[in-house]
Amino acid sequence: MERKIIETDILIIGGGTAGCMAAVEAKERYPQLNVTILEKAHIDRSGCLAGGMNAINAYLNKGETPESFVRYVRSDSCGLIREDLVKTMSELFEYCVKKVEKWGLPILCDDQGNYLPRGRWNIKINGESLKPILAKSARSAGAQVYNWINVTNLLMEGDRVAGAVGFSLRNGTFYVVKAKATIIATGGAAGLYRPNNPGDASHKTWYCPYNTGAGYAMGIRAGAEMTSFEMRYVALRTKDTIAPTGTIALGVKAPQVNAKGEQFMKTRYAHLGGDGAPTPYRTYGPLMEIKEGRGPVYLDTRGLTAEQVRELKAAYLDMYPSMVLYWAANNIDPSKEPIEVQTTEPYIVGGHCQAGYWVDGDRRTTVKGLYAAGDVAGGAPYKFVSGCWAEGVIAARAAGADIANMPPITVSEEQIAAEEARAFEAIKRPGKVRYPILPTDMEARLQKLLEQYAGGASTYYEMNEEMLQIARQRLAKFPADFNHLVANDLHQLMKVHEIMDRVDVAQTLVEHLLHRRETRWPSYQTRTDYPERDDVNWLKFVNSRRDPKTGNIQVLTRPYEQVIPGDRYKP
Amino acid sequence: MPVWVDPEKCNGCHGASQPPCLRMCPGDLIVKDHTANKAYLKYPEDCWDCLPCVKVCPEEAIEFHLSYQFGGKGAKLIPHIHKSHDQISWELIDTQGNSETFTIRTKLMPVALDEKVEGGTQTLDFSI
Repeated sequence: MERKIIETDILIIGGGTAGCMAAVEAKERYPQLNVTILEKAHIDRSGCLAGGMNAINAYLNKGETPESFVRYVRSDSCGLIREDLVKTMSELFEYCVKKVEKWGLPILCDDQGNYLPRGRWNIKINGESLKPILAKSARSAGAQVYNWINVTNLLMEGDRVAGAVGFSLRNGTFYVVKAKATIIATGGAAGLYRPNNPGDASHKTWYCPYNTGAGYAMGIRAGAEMTSFEMRYVALRTKDTIAPTGTIALGVKAPQVNAKGEQFMKTRYAHLGGDGAPTPYRTYGPLMEIKEGRGPVYLDTRGLTAEQVRELKAAYLDMYPSMVLYWAANNIDPSKEPIEVQTTEPYIVGGHCQAGYWVDGDRRTTVKGLYAAGDVAGGAPYKFVSGCWAEGVIAARAAGADIANMPPITVSEEQIAAEEARAFEAIKRPGKVRYPILPTDMEARLQKLLEQYAGGASTYYEMNEEMLQIARQRLAKFPADFNHLVANDLHQLMKVHEIMDRVDVAQTLVEHLLHRRETRWPSYQTRTDYPERDDVNWLKFVNSRRDPKTGNIQVLTRPYEQVIPGDRYKP
Repeated sequence: MPVWVDPEKCNGCHGASQPPCLRMCPGDLIVKDHTANKAYLKYPEDCWDCLPCVKVCPEEAIEFHLSYQFGGKGAKLIPHIHKSHDQISWELIDTQGNSETFTIRTKLMPVALDEKVEGGTQTLDFSI
């Protein structure tokens, strides 16, 4: 195979929300350093922001402070977060938003030029082109971007990360990038659980279906400590199109109602804040209405003015155009009939919840030379777009400072050859194995297994010890089948690596779900055998580390530390 | 099928190796048939409905179709990019043929018709 060897100072894996901002910050602060981005798709329209965004959902509007933000996020995440991380990211919201506005992002303002809030922590944007704006800035800052590179593994120099390897989806060139510091910004993991929609809509998911947990998996294989995988994310979305409900709920203040027209959040969840209850409860509430026979559940948009409906459609066009086409195709007028909502398949994502690398305040992971930013970094939920930017900034600043005066990296040829063999194994296998397994076949098996035994939508996301033990046992059989995976072209080779990565993520996920013997985040993590929250025993983080030599996953706990005083369950 | 390249309208971006629709798909799902000089969605089941391909096509040759399971045919949503690159007009046509237009501010980046790929685009033969 052709090889391309690149030596760089800072390698960024994933040119998305966090990765682009990390590249700009690194080049601005340390112009003498080489910054390289490896991107699986094309940086102009890759990842979560491909379709656009219509709001910045983590921003300190007038009167708010990092402290008030931490208090809110803490209560929204049921009392357990890394307060240090949430605080430091919120301190950079203004810096990042102002920067992107300067690059050309249209932000909606009032007559006095103040940003228009959409909710307490949100501002409205016209972000259809947010991703190309970020990509252009990363390139203009001087980062070297390589598109269509599927990164397959990290390189190691002793116990230190020394870059990464991958292959080109266009020509099969094997890329070896030696780096003094590596920032991982690959996003979270979709496609673990069976999709809600079948057939040609199976990728009509909330989370970007091309974020397949590669960053988590590479870290897991390298022995990095991970946190809070058990805090899965299950979104409440519009039926079928999986468009965001915040656009309606916050945009036009529509309450949730059940089939009888009852505003159940106000009645049954008043003690938790009603319609403003913590996010897991805003998924759990409607789910219970459906489970107990009071569904379907709707956002009650009846009575909206024609002008409001137009505004709603315009907001969706910046982010989820399919919502607007769906209403037109099905003759739905939101001012005359309520909008049905549903819950999604579960995802592992550190930007809404807090599954990811265990990091220090500078976003250093537990493996030397490796930094994490964005959805792949743990402990700091409620990042959304601006928090991912902030983490990119923090990681880039630390990475640049840490590698001053560092000698060049050396990586053994033996390791490179082994990684090259691993990267291309599956494409050399067709015709050579008696029982070939396509990546889609393994995907179906994984999704069905997690769906049925690890809290999928069909069991209302509920699980118990016995189910999880079955999931653990059956998952343990998957790696032996990796030797049968076949790829007939480079696109399929990417899918082979995606499914192997998701199996690694799933094994860690199940260990986390087994370990937390309480229910802290109903619907994200509902244990029927431990249905109550238990602050005496479980106000702590569940972490894990897979031994790179034995493959055994060790689960451990880390203490919660309160930084901001106050009642942890009050915003 | 969520998006569909109209072969009547697609001109292959004048022989481009990597036309914009192909480059802007975050799932790398669009390929070009170089013999016919047309792009097409090779993996429809993997489409996310995110629409960069539709917005970036200089010929407006890519139609946004709703999956049939969601209501299917009958309505249309067509984005028109303003030459100034700072606005996008979405033309919405419902099942009765009524149309409504939404003009929204944006900041579109100019997109070249083709882009050179580092290391070329030859297909490798792994059978030997």
